[in-house]
This record gives sequence, structure tokens and C-alpha cells, in this order.
Amino acid sequence: MENTKQVKSMPEWLKKALGFARDHVYDIFSVAGLVLCVIIFSITSNGRLWSSYNVGIVIEQVTMYVIISLGAVFVYAMGYMDVSLGSQMGVYVLLMIMIVNATGSLLLAFLVILAMALACGAFNGAVAVWLRLPSIVTSLFLMFIFGGIQYLLIESTGSNTISTSLDMDFFTETWVMAGAMVLVGAIVFYLFNFTKLGKYTKGIGANELTTSQCGVNTTKWKVIAYMVFGVCVAVGSVFLLARTGSGGRGTGSGYAMDIMLCLILGGMPLSGGTRSKVRCAVIGSVTYVLLSNGLLLSGVEMNLVNLVKAIVFLVVVVLSCRDNSGYYPR
Amino acid sequence: MAKQAVMEIRGMNKHFGPTVALKDVDLDFYPGEIRGLVGENGSGKSTVTSIMAGMQKATSGEMKYNGEPWKPLSMAWAQEKGVCMILQEANTVAGCTVAENIFAGRLSEFGKFGVINMKKLNAAAQELLDSFGLGRIKASDQIANYTFEDRKLVEIVRCVTEDTVILVVDETTTALSLDGRQILYKLMHSLADRGRTVVFISHDMDEILEQCTTLTVLRDGNIIGTLDEEELAQAKDEEKREKLVEKIRFMMVGRDIGNAYYREDYDTSHLEEVALEFKDVSVGPIKHFSLQLHKGEILGFGGLSDCGMRLIGRAGFGLERLEGGQVVRGGKVIDSPLKAIRSGIGYVSKNRDTEALILSAPIGYNIALPSYDELSRFSFIDPVKENRMVTNEAGKYAVKCKTVRQNVSTLSGGNKQKVSFAKWTAKDSDVLIMDCPTRGVDIGVKQSMYALIAQMKRDGKAIILISEELSELIGMADKIMIMKDGEVTGEFMRSPDLQETDIIGSMI
Repeated sequence: MENTKQVKSMPEWLKKALGFARDHVYDIFSVAGLVLCVIIFSITSNGRLWSSYNVGIVIEQVTMYVIISLGAVFVYAMGYMDVSLGSQMGVYVLLMIMIVNATGSLLLAFLVILAMALACGAFNGAVAVWLRLPSIVTSLFLMFIFGGIQYLLIESTGSNTISTSLDMDFFTETWVMAGAMVLVGAIVFYLFNFTKLGKYTKGIGANELTTSQCGVNTTKWKVIAYMVFGVCVAVGSVFLLARTGSGGRGTGSGYAMDIMLCLILGGMPLSGGTRSKVRCAVIGSVTYVLLSNGLLLSGVEMNLVNLVKAIVFLVVVVLSCRDNSGYYPR
Repeated sequence: MAKQAVMEIRGMNKHFGPTVALKDVDLDFYPGEIRGLVGENGSGKSTVTSIMAGMQKATSGEMKYNGEPWKPLSMAWAQEKGVCMILQEANTVAGCTVAENIFAGRLSEFGKFGVINMKKLNAAAQELLDSFGLGRIKASDQIANYTFEDRKLVEIVRCVTEDTVILVVDETTTALSLDGRQILYKLMHSLADRGRTVVFISHDMDEILEQCTTLTVLRDGNIIGTLDEEELAQAKDEEKREKLVEKIRFMMVGRDIGNAYYREDYDTSHLEEVALEFKDVSVGPIKHFSLQLHKGEILGFGGLSDCGMRLIGRAGFGLERLEGGQVVRGGKVIDSPLKAIRSGIGYVSKNRDTEALILSAPIGYNIALPSYDELSRFSFIDPVKENRMVTNEAGKYAVKCKTVRQNVSTLSGGNKQKVSFAKWTAKDSDVLIMDCPTRGVDIGVKQSMYALIAQMKRDGKAIILISEELSELIGMADKIMIMKDGEVTGEFMRSPDLQETDIIGSMI
């Protein structure tokens, strides 16, 4: 009885605000996380967070994470993930360096790795269906294969790292990076919200059986989703190369989990479905980069940074991935 | 009343976000009664009983069980204390045996040092099954080997024990065939005879009147009234019965819905053109089945639950891998749902929550999903057009929701069913295969669905109507095919004289 009275006596605007909060609880969490990061690190870093040098670094890092996690939105919306991302990127960077050094053509290098990334996408999408395996298994397979290739490539050079002779400063210009983010973001936003690709990937994540009974060729759309992701990985690899200028045995390692963390921080549900949003990729990537960068600037030791990330990860997952009935999806 | 209530509910409210499902409900249940709960979809029948059974918590209000305050912690907890509920949808654990399902949560009784004595477990489960008259179900089998109906029966065996004080049966009978229902009815009466309480939720008025001793009507979360034994006894009398039914329906809907329920015409003519053809189809128990469905024809399929009628529907939509023969529409072989939908076939699955709908997605998304091909122009899906279409469809069926952006999981059973129907009318499919389309739907909506099906016939659409309710088939179909063990054992043309008793013979 008391409850009903409370509901009735609540002013209209408060009711609306509460309703809005309930409907957008994940957005609020993710934006609040971002704002919190900005505020805390602005203080603890004594303002160094906003030095022009550091802002440049943050943008460089954000560019790559945003572009790749934008592509990953399609994969995560289906409730899948791609653990081969890191070793793929390692191979792509090494290959690009080798091709550029041999031919001097960055375009050729990009086309080669784009073709490879598309093939990987098709593999994760189609082969997984043909073999009736979950896509995570095929991506594990790819992870090992590419790990091997990366090793062989670097062995063949006889040194531990190789670097490119080509001047890639163009890709580290702020307006180029910002432009690339906006362009990829716009394309992904369109594809995800206004085409069948986005509608169907969400459907596959939410309930694949129902989606296929609605006449959706789920295999085809899985392949397309993974290939769009592949394009983003290829583009992201170019920016990675531009930033580092070199590659080695460890290049790319850890990126698969970083991207997952980006998306989760942005409020993406791990199980995919209709709650998936493009903005998760953008908000999450910025939060993630600020988190790593801000912790270091605040004087936290490198090995402790990972510990903090782990705790943040756990907290975010508990807050965001639990559905109302109290069960963890998947 | 002089009798002491076994369960007293006082001032119960339940809100689902902005939706109010129960408003200050006061309700008493007494020992020895079979209490019917009737009301339209979303009237609060399932809500009030599921709160009682510990499935969810009330927003406010009090309950007393045997005079003591009752605050169930969970379903399992409530069941241990004697209050149990059999749900609308399947609720067994796949990948386990029948015996493991029956004793789920109590397996430790059969264990020693963490090792479970399977022999003892199976024997005990089999004994239970036998005592319910379900000897044909083997306790040691995998639960997946059994049909939806049998799984439901296993669930009943699991729920009901010697210590059951209150049993809630929530629209379970829609999942059961005739003999399954008989088993359940017998069980309900034997419980009531022993002074226990049965709460029976159903949309089938005949069933309610025949089985229940008392009846409570709900509407929009309010208790409208309760009919006592004396009033309900009028149902035995042919003449008074009709008046009684009218009265109950009026209480449920709040307005007179009249008698026009099913199709009124007896026009069985249809166009010459074949809309869907089964050519010598063999799948599972069905051998060499051939059939032509014409434009403007309603073909009804009936029979016991596992007679094969369901397979016909699935095969017609390309969901089954055929062992022989073909399903053809307009010269094209239908062997996948994709091809089926491309050639204008729609399918309303009986497994609503797992196959027909995406529960975690908004209503609008569910309705639009099969239609995105039509909605997209040069790859662009216009959200305004999409929204107009789904709002229109949801409005046509009066889906009880605040907005179409709300998730389907927030809807009550019947409203969910409306959404799964709306998917295909939005798509404007030419052939519709419906597997129990009105399952769990209240009379008001049923009436409009039947009107819609009749309109579809007039528009030249071809319809396969698979149903466990004979009255529905008699009321709607041009031709009724009754199946048994994969074979058609009887064909009946639409006629005003056709009675259920004429048909039952070929079912069993």
C-alpha cells in the first residue's frame, strides 16, 4: 500500500526521469564511467592528462581502438567474439612492413592484409557453420595459426624487430585520425542501425533459431558481419603500424581482450542482442584508453595497471551483464 | 465464510515498471476446492499465482498461509512448503534423464558420499510415474526423447507430492492432448478430495465449468467476482449453462461480446490454384503424404499431440529434412525457411518462447524481423516506415503494451502470441501455417484472430491450421484432417452438423 502512495505522490518530472534512467541504465553507467575517469585522472595526474603531448598520445591510441571496436560491434552483437584479433594484427603489421620495404607501396601492403582479413572473416563466419562449431573455436584456431605465422615471419628476418623505412606521419596527423574515426563511425552507424546487417546480427545474438525462422540466412550474415570486422581490423592495423613504425614477436598481443574490455566498458552486453549499440564502441574505447593512460600518469606501476583493469572489468561485468532476473546471460 | 482459508491474500499490488498488473487484490483459497481463475490476457491470473508460488515478489501486500505470514523465498522453497505451480511453458532440464528431472533438487536423497544411486533413483521415479498412470514414460530415458506434452506431464509428476497443499495449474492443459488432460483432471480431483487446494487457470470455458468447483474472474488486475459452488453447479443444466457462460464472459471482458465467435459461413469453396503442395512426403512417422492446399482454403489438422500433424506444419515451412518427396509452392521446392518465406509462406510455431519470438528484443523488432527485406530500399531501412508498420500491426491486435520498444518478455502469454501472429500479417504472407495459433489467448483476442483468419480466406490466402482444440477446427476449417501415428485417419468437410464426437473416433 505504501508503495502505491509513493508512486502517486511522485512529481511527473521525477517519474519521467526515473523511467528514463531505467530504460538507459547501461548508457548511464558507461557515460558515468567515462566522466569518472576524466575527473579522477585530471586530479591525480596533476593536469598532465591534458598536456598537449598526452592528448596526442591518447588520440593515437583511441583511433585504433575505436576503429577496431566499431567493427567488433557486429561480432559482439551476435554474441560471438574473435580471440584471433591480436595475432592477426601482429601478422598484418609484420607483413605490411615487409611488403612496404620490398616494394615501397603501402597500398599494395594494405590490399594484401585486407584480403587476408576478409578471408579470416569468411572463415570465422562460414567454416564455423559448416563444421557446426561455435565461432570462438574457429577464431581460436586462427589465433594459433596466425601466432605461428607471426613467429615464422619474424624468424625469417633473423632479428627481433623489423621497422619500416616508409614515412607514415600522414596517419598520425590529428585530422587524419579524427577523420578516419568519423568516417568509420558513420559507416558502421549506418550499417548497424539502418540496414539488414545490423538488424540481423542483433537477431542472431538474441535468438538465432527465431531469426532463421524469420527467413534470415544466418550463415550469410555471419560471414558479412565478420568481414566488416575484418575491414576494420585491416584499417586499424595501418594505424597501429603508423604509430609504432615497427613490429616484432609481441606485436598485437592482448588486443583481442582489450577490444572486449572496450566494448564492455561502453555498455555492450556480452551475449549480444538488441541491446547492442554502436556508441558502446566509442565510449568504451575512450574510457579504456583513459584508464590505461591515466593510471600510468598518476604514477601507478605498470604491473599494477593490469590489476586495476582486472578489477574494473569484473565490476563492469557484474553491473552491466546481469539481466533483471539475476541470471548471467550465456 | 466459516471455513478457514488455507491461503489469504490481502491488498496485493504488483507493478512491472509502469505497468500495473495487480491492484489491491484480496483473494482467499479454501481447502478442498478446485478454484478456476479466468480473465483476459494480462488480467493478472498468472501474476497473482506466481507470487504465491514464490516465482516473483509482490510490490506490496500480504499473504497468509495456514494463518502464518507467507513470504516465499523461491519456487523451490515454496514447493517444499507445499505450494507448487505448473507453468505454461516447458520447464524441464534438457540433457538429463526423466528421473533426474523428477527429483531435481532432491538428488541427495539418493546419494551416498556424493555418489548417486541411479538404480534407486530410477526405480523411485518409475514408481511415481506409474502411480500417475504414466507407465509408458521410462524414468531412465533422456527427457529430450519425449514430446512437449510428455515433458509437461513429467513436470507435473515432479511438482505434485504427498505434501502438496496448494497446486497451481497455469494454462497447462493447452500443452496437453486429451489423455494427458484426463490424467491431470484426475489428479486435480484426487487432491481436492483429500482436502488440498487446486488453482486452475485456463482459457477453455468448457474445461473450467466441468472441472472447477469455484471460480474467480479477474480483469485488469482487479478481482471482478467469485462464483461459489452453487452458482457453478448451474453449468450442469443445459439451459442455465448458456446464461452462466454469458455472465462469466461479461465479467471477463466487461462488455457483451456476443455469440459470433468462429466463422459463421459454411462456404467451403476455394480457388482452383494450388498454393502449396506436399508430394509424396515422408518424414518421421509420416509416410508418402500427399496434399494440395488451395488459395482461399483453410485446412485443419487435428489429432493427439504426437500424431504427426506438427511435422506437417514444420515440413511445409522447410524446417524438416524430408526422407522422401517434396514440398512445392509455385514450381519451387521448399526446403528451408528462407525459401519458404521468399515464396510467401509464414509459420506460427507452437514453441512460442524459443522459436517464434525473441523474448529479449522489443515488440517492434519482433514484428518487423521477417519484413526487413521489404522494408529496405537500396539497403536503407527507413525507421519511420518500420515504426509505422509495427505500430499499426500491434494496434490491430491490441497488444497490451506501453510502446512497441518494450521487450516481448514483459508481455503476458497471450500478448506474446499476438506478436508472433502479427509478424506474418505484417509480412502479408500468402500461405500461413499456424501451429496452435490461439494457444493461451483470451476470448476477446481469439475472436478477432478468428475473424482475421476468415478474412484471409476471403482474400484468397491459403491456411493450414494445426490445433489441439477440436472446436476450433470445427469452427474454422473448410476441411479437417485427423491424424494418428503419422497417417490421416479421417477427413471431415465443414458442416453445421459436424460434432466433436464424430471426430474423436478417428483420433484414438
